[in-house]
Amino acid sequence: MKSTIYKGNFILLMSIWIFASCESFVEVEIPNDKMVTETVFASEETAQSAMQGIYYELFNTGFSGGTTNSITVLGGLSADILEPISTNNTTLIQFQENEIFTENSGVLGIWNSAYNIIYLVNNLLEGIENSEGLSDSFKHRLEGEARFIRAFTYFYLVNLYENIPLVLSTDYDENSLISQAPESEIYEQIVLDLNRAREILTKDYLRDERFYANYYAATALMARVKLYQEQYSEAAILSSEVIDANDLYDLVNLDEVFLKNSQEAIWQISPAGRGNILTWTAEGSTFIGSSFSSIKLRPEFVGSFSQEDLRREKWIGSFLSETRDFDYVYKYKDRSSIDNITEYGMVLRLAEQYLIRAEARIGMGEFWAAIEDIDRIRERAGLNLISEANPDISPQELQNLIIEERRRELFAEWGHRWLDLKRLNIASEVLSSKSSGWEETDVLYPIPAQERSKNPNLEQNQGY
Amino acid sequence: MKNNYSRLKWVALIILGGILFFLSKSANAATTNIAYFQQQEISGVVQDQKGQSIPGVTITVKNTTRGTVTNLNGEYKITAPANGTLVFSYIGFKTLEIPIDGRSEINIQLEENIASLGEVKINAGYYRTTESERTGSIAKVTGEDIEMQPIVNPLQALQGRMAGVEITQRGGAPGMAPTIRIRGQNSLRDTRDDNGNLPLYIIDGVPINSAPVPSYTGVISGTGLDPLNTIGLSNIESIEILKDADATAIYGSRGANGVVLITTKRGYARETEVRVRLYSGAGQASRKMNVLNTREYLDIREQAFENDGVELTNSNAYDLLLWDNERYTDWQEKFFGGTSEILNMDLSVNGGNENTSFRLGVGYHKEGTVFTGDFDYQKATAALQVNHVSDNEKFHIDLSLNYGADTNNFLNSVNSSLVYLGVTLPPNAPPIFNTDGSLNWQDWDAGNRDNPFGGLYNTSEIYSNNLLANASFSYDLLKNLKFKTNLGYTDFGSNELIKMPKRSYNPENWGSITARSTHSAVERNSWLIEPQLIFNKQLGNSELDVIIGATFQQNTNSRLLMNGFGYSSEAQIGNLMVAEDVSVNNDASIDYKYNALFARIGYNWQHKLFVNLTGRRDGSSRFGPDKRFANFGAVGAAWIFSEEKFIKDALPVLSFGKLRGSYGTTGNDQIGDYGYLDAYESTLAPGGLIPVQLFNPDYSWEVNRKLEAALSLGFLEDKINTEVSWYRNRSSNQLVGFPLPATTGFNSIQANLPAEVQNTGWEVVLSSTNISNQDFKWNTSFNISFPRNKLISFPNIEETSYANTYRVGQPLNIDLLYSYAGIDSETGYFTVEDINEDGSFDYQDRVIERDRSRKFFGGMDNTLFYKNFSAQFLWEFVKQEGIDPYFLLGNLGNASNQEAGAINNGNGQVPSQSIQAQRAHGFASLSDLSTSDASFLRLKTISLGYNLSNNLLNGLGLKKGRLFVTGQNLITITPYEGLDPQEIGIYLPVLRTITAGLELTF
Repeated sequence: MKSTIYKGNFILLMSIWIFASCESFVEVEIPNDKMVTETVFASEETAQSAMQGIYYELFNTGFSGGTTNSITVLGGLSADILEPISTNNTTLIQFQENEIFTENSGVLGIWNSAYNIIYLVNNLLEGIENSEGLSDSFKHRLEGEARFIRAFTYFYLVNLYENIPLVLSTDYDENSLISQAPESEIYEQIVLDLNRAREILTKDYLRDERFYANYYAATALMARVKLYQEQYSEAAILSSEVIDANDLYDLVNLDEVFLKNSQEAIWQISPAGRGNILTWTAEGSTFIGSSFSSIKLRPEFVGSFSQEDLRREKWIGSFLSETRDFDYVYKYKDRSSIDNITEYGMVLRLAEQYLIRAEARIGMGEFWAAIEDIDRIRERAGLNLISEANPDISPQELQNLIIEERRRELFAEWGHRWLDLKRLNIASEVLSSKSSGWEETDVLYPIPAQERSKNPNLEQNQGY
Repeated sequence: MKNNYSRLKWVALIILGGILFFLSKSANAATTNIAYFQQQEISGVVQDQKGQSIPGVTITVKNTTRGTVTNLNGEYKITAPANGTLVFSYIGFKTLEIPIDGRSEINIQLEENIASLGEVKINAGYYRTTESERTGSIAKVTGEDIEMQPIVNPLQALQGRMAGVEITQRGGAPGMAPTIRIRGQNSLRDTRDDNGNLPLYIIDGVPINSAPVPSYTGVISGTGLDPLNTIGLSNIESIEILKDADATAIYGSRGANGVVLITTKRGYARETEVRVRLYSGAGQASRKMNVLNTREYLDIREQAFENDGVELTNSNAYDLLLWDNERYTDWQEKFFGGTSEILNMDLSVNGGNENTSFRLGVGYHKEGTVFTGDFDYQKATAALQVNHVSDNEKFHIDLSLNYGADTNNFLNSVNSSLVYLGVTLPPNAPPIFNTDGSLNWQDWDAGNRDNPFGGLYNTSEIYSNNLLANASFSYDLLKNLKFKTNLGYTDFGSNELIKMPKRSYNPENWGSITARSTHSAVERNSWLIEPQLIFNKQLGNSELDVIIGATFQQNTNSRLLMNGFGYSSEAQIGNLMVAEDVSVNNDASIDYKYNALFARIGYNWQHKLFVNLTGRRDGSSRFGPDKRFANFGAVGAAWIFSEEKFIKDALPVLSFGKLRGSYGTTGNDQIGDYGYLDAYESTLAPGGLIPVQLFNPDYSWEVNRKLEAALSLGFLEDKINTEVSWYRNRSSNQLVGFPLPATTGFNSIQANLPAEVQNTGWEVVLSSTNISNQDFKWNTSFNISFPRNKLISFPNIEETSYANTYRVGQPLNIDLLYSYAGIDSETGYFTVEDINEDGSFDYQDRVIERDRSRKFFGGMDNTLFYKNFSAQFLWEFVKQEGIDPYFLLGNLGNASNQEAGAINNGNGQVPSQSIQAQRAHGFASLSDLSTSDASFLRLKTISLGYNLSNNLLNGLGLKKGRLFVTGQNLITITPYEGLDPQEIGIYLPVLRTITAGLELTF
């Protein structure tokens, strides 16, 4: 009797002990809303989903999403295009007055969202490199698209902040204390990525959707990069390549430019990123006038259009109520439809390629060819042609005219005007009348204070 | 890892060996003592010293759970072994132990005793102890003190009652989760969604996931809902809070922030008794802010435009040009000036016989809100305890079921901060409604503003239900050895439905919005198995208690968030079938598994010297595969020196004296699940995958080392008792979402930091029986805590992202501030010092450290009895610094209202809306100028009661009857001019309530 009790207890104790030691008990399954990176890149279907995720994120995220946090809006405020409606929004006012504090949330938002996109791209590039289950042609397409997006993101970072870190890996130990790279090094990387993308991307669009990057998207961006670097002949060759692809691209009616997959679009961002909740672009809902609008066009800018300019009529709207009266950007017509998606956010379009080539041709001394290009744009806008009205225009006048045409054609798109003022060194001349406290150093945005407090190796830009 | 493992096995084997040794000895003993003694019936009468019979005295047979209670005439009957011992106990009297010695009639006189430490039973979780013999730091609040207060959440009842326990409530809306800190902040992670400072909650032996339930309803979304709301306050027997290592190490990796043990009421072996308790009353926001009236406000605005030289236009000066300058509205009154009606009903039935006892408690509570609209909070609860013991007293079953369901009907305003709007809306803002009763949009549009009551027709309904079940089986294998197992199951579900009809919104936007609904569901399940062996043995003068056990626990936590769009009719909103579009925004299910082995060895010598060893080996699925297991342990000891002869001789005035101390380690595994996984998640849009976090496979537990020493003294036969304790808790290996610069792709990563946070402090508890005679009694209890929090080390903090958040040597809760330098005589703006004179203002200039933690806090409770009357007053006091409300609101001159002091004291900056003025205001907000004393003294609870006289009771056939009136937060004395000094910010102040009710026992 005694020994059975004894034995029974012993067994009990041992079984508790054995159970308790069960290490496998605390293993949990991977939840069904997550997928381990290795698995993601094991099949083409899920790897494609990872690429799709990046395209979606471009719509959702700050710098590229088209909201008041985007380069489109903030760049337009910094330049002489847009103005905030309310005097209470200090974030926006600081951009408009070119008096940006280092704590400004807009400056931080662009930086954060751009580097998040760069991480996603780097992670994808590492994923496909280490993967064995993907075909070469598939890998190439993803690599090309990813490199294009990385180049595109760096292009804006380097132009807005100039002194930025070059992050090419996902190693957070290294990236958290990374120092800034010289501007030239950033541009080398942009060119490298775009060249590789041009090598491996196909010329057609996946599923005929122009929010996927193709060969021409990389080429068009490269043409812009070469123009900025004043390598005119390369810029002209690259833009010609896009312009000559007339089976894909054409200058369309002013009303149709911003429609989804329009013939003018080289690369767009689709609002599909928010699922089926949003079917319109953020540019549409931000700009189109209502009593809740926060952004309007500067009256001076609206005044710079001539009477016959069709863009004044088609691309600018007026809001009038008892209490407010302003003009707004009306390139996108849909601010709220609850039907199908009709418009995509435009990033690269053919008209810019004509303007790039025109400017490049001036740089190369080919004035007549430059006039031909600028006339394509003026023709569509219903303006008289330089070749007829003023064929003897001086090179300097022609250059100025192109800059003015760029302003009126590309306004409220991706901060074109702001970057033009900076690269052409005319920011002080143009903006000192707008901003009483203008300083030369205001052409660069400050490195966000929060970033500098986290990474002590980041140096602040001059003037902040 | 493997090594650790085998080492632990050795330790366990040694413990096992020890137990087997005792087992074999006790087995011997059992065989000799196995003979059963004759059971016999004993009866008698229990009286007090004056010869009055006492009803309700509990009589138990010692070392069994068998018991009974005296009837109205003080008589009892019980069956017990002839050689057994009877234990007579009754609140307020000294417990007597009487050997039966074969007698069949035992009459007893009980001696009155107000404070007797030995009688106060303390629940220490896996074992029980008494107030006098405990080795650890454990504070207790009884059910009486909890149910007395007209509140929803049991934690609110602890405010001011416990030393070292800090409870704050962000906003007085019913159901909002309060914040509790037991001996300070240990973890650097302190946000709603990532909080490493939650204590472990155990209800009747079952740990529950107490993290606030996320809500999408405007007012509640900031804190979320507390799952503890669904516990019936009247069903709580006691709440114990375990503070030091000795008490918490047995909870291992979950004990770092202390443990809250909630025990529900048991049944008693006595004749069936029914208790009914009802109360009802009303509450209002306890404070409002003194803001400008229309004339003052408009004057400031006009001055601002004049100072700036800016021309008034319809868009920048709508309040001056378009809105009626004669209009005045007290917006605080409009937004949160309502009266909340409270109704509470409890019913319990208690009964049983010597083998089986039960208690069933049901309750209903309803509370309105002070916000506009017809909304309320309701809850219904039920609790059942069944306790059974077999005839031979070897087999025990204890079953406890707690069920609660509540609904929270709320206004889901478009603006999440109604209180902030109430304070800041210009006093001449236009009316909310048109004359026809519809929302007035036009006048508000003129100011580029939305009607603040825009969401008026948006409703939110949150329905939660919570089942907590625990069954505990124990069997006496041998005389000294018991096998026990705890089986627990919890099931918590919460469903939130928010309806947003079109008419809540500005008609101008109707083109872009549709009628919508938000559906959020949270489901939390867990099960628990805890087999244990419990061994107890008298060894001559000493006594040994051993527990060894294991825990297996699994939690599943799932969330579903959906939105429906495009309802064509308002009546159908919420039915997803008729929604034009449905989007699923979150669908996740998280598993958490936990496994542990624990042990406790308690030893005492002559009930004078106590040693308590506890330990636990824990494994948790929250950590990477190589970091899942860790060991924790503590040692505690106590010496009751007043039992020593030389002390008794030298200090007769000293009735009790104890020295105790403990040291040990506990851990903290509160961190998101799956953080170690390198994973992608689905995007909102179809077919996309995206990485949402950086992963780190190597992170591990936070370790918290706790040291404590305490001295307890009792004087004049325990008429005055005091305990002074000192503690030092050090939390290292800090587990944080380590902030990273965006260049890494994200803003943070889960990682262990080589930082160490220290919480030290003194706690003093004092209780006294000031007067005690037949007609009048007066008891006082007082507690005060002096906590000090400090970051004691953080290697290379300058190179980390915390360089500008924390300072080594300073508390965690600091603000780094500029040094205020006065008002610029030229511009009239605030200025701050540019310390390094580099022309810019940044963290290098923010050299002033402001400590926002409490300097000291506590409470004083006085209880008075005069004949049938009783009164209780609980004061809560806190010494702390806060932020001047002037700096919680916008810059002077903006189109928002201001605290009245802003103009009256004349030391603000000139009204202006220029960027420079906004900037100066911003800098001053971050300077020492913004500091304001936010200490307060609050009459937390006042309760007056009357016990019906015996004559009346007999006439009504009642056992007990009581009438009471309770006031909550009636008086707050503070120099602070903001809304509620308890929680600095623009939140709804705690409610001031008065309730009255009665309690009857049949």
